[in-house]
Amino acid sequence: MISPPTSVPPTTAEPTVEERDERKWVQAHSTTPPTREGTRGVWKVEVPPSQWHISQIQLSQLLHHRLSTLWAEIVPAGTTRLHGLWLGKGPCAGVLVSTELLEGEARVTTLLPHVPSALYFEREVREMFGVEFAEAPDTRPLLLHLSHPAPPFRAPASPNPQDPVSYTFLPTEGEGLYEIPVGPVHAGIIEPGQFRFQVLGEQILNLEVRLGFTHKGTERLFENRTPAQGLPLAESVSGDSSVAGAMAYLEAVEPVLGIRPSEGTQRARGLLLEAERVAFLLGDVSGISMDVGYAAGAAQANVLRQEAYSWLESLTGSRLGRSTLSVGGLYRPLPARALEGLSLRARALSDATRELLEHLDERSSVVDRIHDTGQISREVARNLALVGPVARASGIDGDVRRDRPYGPYREVDVRVALRSAGDVEARLQVKGAEILEACRLVEKFLDGGALDVPRSPETSDPLASGEGMGIVEAPRGELVVAVRLGKDSRVLRVHFRDPSYLNWPAIEYAVRGNIVPDFPLCNKSLNLSYSGFDR
Amino acid sequence: MSTSEDPGKEAQDQGQHSRPTARASPLSEVFGPVVTGPYPLSPADPSRLGARTPVHSRDRCEGSGECVRVCPTEAITVEGRGEEVTFQLDYGRCIFCRRCVDVCPTGALTASPQFELATLQRDDLRLMHSRKREVAPSPPPSQLWEETRQRVSRLFGGSLAVREVDAGSCNGCEVEVSALTWPAYDSERLGIHFVASPRHADALLVTGPVTANMRLALEKTYRATPAPKFVLAVGACGISGGPFRGSPEILGGVGSVVPVQVFVPGCPPRPEALLYGFWLALGKLEQKLHRKGLEVPAGASRGGRPSSGETPKSGPEHGSTDAP
Ligand code: SF4
Ligand code: SF4
Repeated sequence: MISPPTSVPPTTAEPTVEERDERKWVQAHSTTPPTREGTRGVWKVEVPPSQWHISQIQLSQLLHHRLSTLWAEIVPAGTTRLHGLWLGKGPCAGVLVSTELLEGEARVTTLLPHVPSALYFEREVREMFGVEFAEAPDTRPLLLHLSHPAPPFRAPASPNPQDPVSYTFLPTEGEGLYEIPVGPVHAGIIEPGQFRFQVLGEQILNLEVRLGFTHKGTERLFENRTPAQGLPLAESVSGDSSVAGAMAYLEAVEPVLGIRPSEGTQRARGLLLEAERVAFLLGDVSGISMDVGYAAGAAQANVLRQEAYSWLESLTGSRLGRSTLSVGGLYRPLPARALEGLSLRARALSDATRELLEHLDERSSVVDRIHDTGQISREVARNLALVGPVARASGIDGDVRRDRPYGPYREVDVRVALRSAGDVEARLQVKGAEILEACRLVEKFLDGGALDVPRSPETSDPLASGEGMGIVEAPRGELVVAVRLGKDSRVLRVHFRDPSYLNWPAIEYAVRGNIVPDFPLCNKSLNLSYSGFDR
Repeated sequence: MSTSEDPGKEAQDQGQHSRPTARASPLSEVFGPVVTGPYPLSPADPSRLGARTPVHSRDRCEGSGECVRVCPTEAITVEGRGEEVTFQLDYGRCIFCRRCVDVCPTGALTASPQFELATLQRDDLRLMHSRKREVAPSPPPSQLWEETRQRVSRLFGGSLAVREVDAGSCNGCEVEVSALTWPAYDSERLGIHFVASPRHADALLVTGPVTANMRLALEKTYRATPAPKFVLAVGACGISGGPFRGSPEILGGVGSVVPVQVFVPGCPPRPEALLYGFWLALGKLEQKLHRKGLEVPAGASRGGRPSSGETPKSGPEHGSTDAP
């Protein structure tokens, strides 16, 4: 009889078939005893480089797990470690596959075409770490537009502005076909990126997105900082949802430092996270309404959005909730004056949002534009491993707050909105429902008990080191942060996998067969983060 | 279910989507009263603004240097102690995190809702407090400055077409810039509107630390904007690189690529702060009903004219850089 690994927490419920299969697979494949330390309960499996692709293709095809994130890091002596995080359905723990590549042998086999969502990850690891993915179908650079003397994570240096990397958009040929190049500077007040449309008449045949314009080398800036010094960066990875960014980062570092925030702290964080979600998603309602040409609806959504930002401002001093979450707590307690009456305001905002959503649903000029537009089928959503409201609008049932409860969400039940149509209308409905649910959660956290926050957070072990992982549900969906802290608790490596990193390819599918004027609408309904992708 | 006041429209709905339509509610039922704030035509109510701006009291500062140690952007320097102390704070680098306020042992640093921080010169964002020696009085604005400002006011005072360029921001600044178009701020009531092309623009509003990958696009956008034009560098990133200072992938501020005329600090600057920046550029501060709304933290005198610091070298066309 195989004795179970010691670090497995005792399970109360009978394991499901999927869980048992997962455990069996883990025990059969790891070269070292599998553990679940430092990874939020995810199984850690160490494989030899030759098994890197096979093991993960199995996870995809046998266990039906999905690739959540994939990153590399350099450990002493020039050795590269590769990690792939695979999460499963329901109660499955998930599996983190890792392998070690010695210097000069930085080479594995690609996961493509078996794992389509691996494409961006592999292109990034290739350009940033110089790891070769044998048989990779696409080796074009992803985030770097200018040549560097060496892969940036191996030898940090400024890029050469005179020497752009070569990059060709996939060519299309045919009679009557034309291309529309867009960007990087766009027409609206939005982030920069390049779109290349191949169009026949009015119909979009193909869209290719090129990103990387906002690449700031953020992850390398974390290096050698203390965990607390990393917070301003964590808040600026995708700065329109900074509370979620800070939360994901703290979820990763706090356990390494041996810090367990109090329940009151977690409730206060939950309150801020949900307030941010309300403000964020109302922006999507406004954007969709604007892009169907219904300015009155957009204006009303922005009135409501202003209300949500004013909550954050009165609670934290910052309209975007910046510089509020701290390691172990909050930098300052939430003012009583701001908490007073907030429940009623949340209720009122929820009612007003519901009214606006019904109003939009009654306007034929709105519904006509969003119904059937920008469809993403369930199959595409599953193959691309999409996350967040975009996935939920295509019938993929998943929400980290419910499936892997963390921090404040251990206390509350989160009701997950689900639609199957996968069009702009479904995304509007899912996001609308999530605003109402977030308002309800705001009330819950307010009623849930004291929001006591120690002003000076718990002191942590200054010598703590190790690896940690944070998996949270940001307004855009599952956000995963992986960290490694060195001996003096300083950051050695941080990896941010923004929800949009997985969701960006969705736009290329959503617009196919649609007319060019519907592109902005598809885009707005997906609301993808450029900075979160580029970092 | 069918109680629509417009049967024609409903029939059309039914035909296209075969879905029931509820009654069409009149707009007045859904939309509430006027929500647009008064600023900048009259003062913003400070009690409704978050207190994020670190302000420094010369008299209380003992030079502990605690603030220097916690500041994530190296915005503060302190030299000497006690009576000899010289304190400097660069609002162009500050991300308004209030860590310095939290640790100041003597209460010299406090958080204020002050947001009228924009200036026309990079140097004016550097506050210098010295107990010993008084900071030199601000030199009067140069002749060239005044002339250009008058020209900007004359040419663009009625309406200003703005093209926003994200040169690598985190998208936080974009939230606040786009908030200018929300009913709460409605910048169009002031004649300030955002246009889709630089060729239609009078001014470029640039956010982000200017990534290496956005440099060319920013240069091209600047060239595509017809003269006369001016540039606003927005946010800690746009002014100095902000939290990303020191990265080899950024150039460290808009001024390192194109000439900048207006600097709007913040991380991100709140919409009122952006309106103040525009007002300053347009020379409209004189028209403001309020002159003493909130405490002015920086040592510089304000009121729409460049003040302390060095005399501008080449007038408003002189961009400022902040080398990381
Ligand atoms: S508020 Fe500004 S000056 Fe103070 S610590 Fe933060 S960044 Fe530095
Ligand atoms: S100034 Fe702050 S909010 Fe603006 S882009 Fe930079 S980090 Fe983001």
